[in-house]
Amino acid sequence: MLIGCGAVAQQFYLPTLRTLSSLGEVSVQALVDPSDSARRALAGTFPQAQQIAQLNESNAPDGSLAIIATPPRFHCAQTVDAVKRGWHVLCEKPMASTSVECEQMIASAKSSHRLLAVGLYKRFFPSSRYLKDLFSQGQLGALRSFSISEGGPFRWPAASPSFFNKAQTPGGVLLDIGVHVLDLLIWWLNEPSAYQYFDDAMGGLETNARVELDYPGGARGVLHLSRDWYTPNQYRFVFERGIVGWKVNDANGLTVQLSGASSALRSQLVTPSTPSLSDPAAQLQPTNPQSFIAQLRNVAAAIQGRETLLIPGEEGLRSLRFIETCYAHRTLIEQPWFTPAEAERARHLAATS
Amino acid sequence: MKIAIIGANGFIGSRLVEQFHLGGQHTVIPVVRKPASLALPARFSLEWRLGDALETESLTAALQGCDAVVHAAIGDPLQIEKMPAILCAAAAAAGIKRVVYLSSASVHGQSIPPGTTEATPLHTEHSIDYNNAKVRAERSFFSECSKYRMDGYALRPGVVYGPRSRWIADLAEELREGRAWLFDEGRGICNSIYVDNLIHAIRLCLEANAGAGQPYLVGDEETVTWADFYHQAAQLTGLPTTSIHRVDRFPAFEKSFRERVEKTVAQPWVQSLLPAVPFKLKRATKTLIASWNPPGSPDAWALPGRPGPHITEEMALLQQNRWRFPHTQAAQNLGYRAPVSFEEAMRRSFAWLRFATDVSVK
Repeated sequence: MLIGCGAVAQQFYLPTLRTLSSLGEVSVQALVDPSDSARRALAGTFPQAQQIAQLNESNAPDGSLAIIATPPRFHCAQTVDAVKRGWHVLCEKPMASTSVECEQMIASAKSSHRLLAVGLYKRFFPSSRYLKDLFSQGQLGALRSFSISEGGPFRWPAASPSFFNKAQTPGGVLLDIGVHVLDLLIWWLNEPSAYQYFDDAMGGLETNARVELDYPGGARGVLHLSRDWYTPNQYRFVFERGIVGWKVNDANGLTVQLSGASSALRSQLVTPSTPSLSDPAAQLQPTNPQSFIAQLRNVAAAIQGRETLLIPGEEGLRSLRFIETCYAHRTLIEQPWFTPAEAERARHLAATS
Repeated sequence: MKIAIIGANGFIGSRLVEQFHLGGQHTVIPVVRKPASLALPARFSLEWRLGDALETESLTAALQGCDAVVHAAIGDPLQIEKMPAILCAAAAAAGIKRVVYLSSASVHGQSIPPGTTEATPLHTEHSIDYNNAKVRAERSFFSECSKYRMDGYALRPGVVYGPRSRWIADLAEELREGRAWLFDEGRGICNSIYVDNLIHAIRLCLEANAGAGQPYLVGDEETVTWADFYHQAAQLTGLPTTSIHRVDRFPAFEKSFRERVEKTVAQPWVQSLLPAVPFKLKRATKTLIASWNPPGSPDAWALPGRPGPHITEEMALLQQNRWRFPHTQAAQNLGYRAPVSFEEAMRRSFAWLRFATDVSVK
């Protein structure tokens, strides 16, 4: 059942479930949302699904999967409720509002013997998996530095202002975009040994965030996230023996410049050639939407005991815990166009919020 | 004073929120059309409101309890023309007596005839639709203010630049790409105004005891040529001025397919039919038009050369301007004098650009 029929459900889960339904891999039993109009947007595609306002109105059987795509402040209560009813859960990112809630969700799932997966689908990109191999196997040597910029003027079709209400959403761009970026970084490199965090929240929610990170072994990195202005949307990793570039959301493409080479290679990832596969270019690895589908397939296969669940709740918790420590140690970012009086007042607002 | 700022997420509106809130003299109420536009105002703990500058009822609700309103919303030419009447009706219904409307020096065109002042009669025969829309909008604004007996102030800034301005970001990009250009060695006058100077003028309008019912031309204190603007930008971005093209003639400016479609859509008879068109079809058509860019035929034998200058009709007209419009009326009636120098304004603007784009590891 799909719990929450807003923008994420409409843009990502609707096409995913439509594809997997047509293959007979899943069947959508219920669309859950207090808003009639939000449910109607999906009901046309899944006419057989029960349309209900609340999760507790569902008669889905034990062992079903609840996909939770509601605002983060509802994730904990809905997950706990769902697993107690005997349903497995795939919870959209961020996993919850706080790490304490995440721990509660994990404990509930464990005690109910149900799976709790977190929707961090960028781990399913062939390009991010390729990078994971580079970091762990060291084909290009040790990592020396990296820079990551992601974001641009905010365009997400948020249905309500709750997204920008600090009482309802505990973070800004770091929690929104940053949860994906930090999940990937922690998956690739583990937690940093030291970091500094800066943002522009002055009593509200940040729209620009900068994290400077240090890793054991001496690698240094910087992360810049923005909902304010256009960024290059680019990841750049400098290794001992080469530089790898990755464009945000390019699920199966990378740019690689080997040390000493005068040019870089702009590559698409393909399935390795085998004697029976004469044209590897025809075997492009999964795209961005196909990676989203792969995530749901992994959850379904894990429920059936055919695969290991790749992103369980414990993994979703790691990036959220790091984000919380960033917020706890935030420093107001310098905004160099402010007058000295404005900068002083901004520091006061940031310190007292 | 409690001041509503319509268009609080835009370039001018967002700086207005910053200045007024951090200045502490006024309580600001950012007003935006949709939740997604709250990203910038929501950095502060402020009471923001949703209100559509094209719907009287929604805007009236958003303006309730405010003492004054500043209109900094943008739109296409048709929307620009509609907004003042809606603004004034909503402000009147909300009991607001003071309205500041951001008009534009473009009401005089981009290349302003010498001798132009606020008293110079306006016309709607400009080649750029935006200018004509601003002329009609300003006329509508004063007429509606008079109808509702409101104190209406219209400001006519020229080239407004500063943090989050396309003038800064685009110019830096053109300089980097080698596509920036100057006409006649940049002798044209750009009638610049730093956004903080414009906000100073807005503040004066909000606090003035007289001078309502008139438009005001406002600008930086210095006479800034295009060469000044470009050379300063090149210096602050660390790029050589030698990469700037010198241009002595302009191409013929033909309306693009997109501009022709937009002009047709703006016709009243087309507008009257639009409500009957399904939303999804309208959205799909808009997306198609936005992406419409007929490719030229590539020449496989051509060698990549130096990038050419990026010349638009608006920029060609602006760079031919020889008149620095006076700020005398604003000085006399409002006490206007630009507080931030051009040099300091450019320094702050490019400091913002580094803030927004620099991701280097230190």
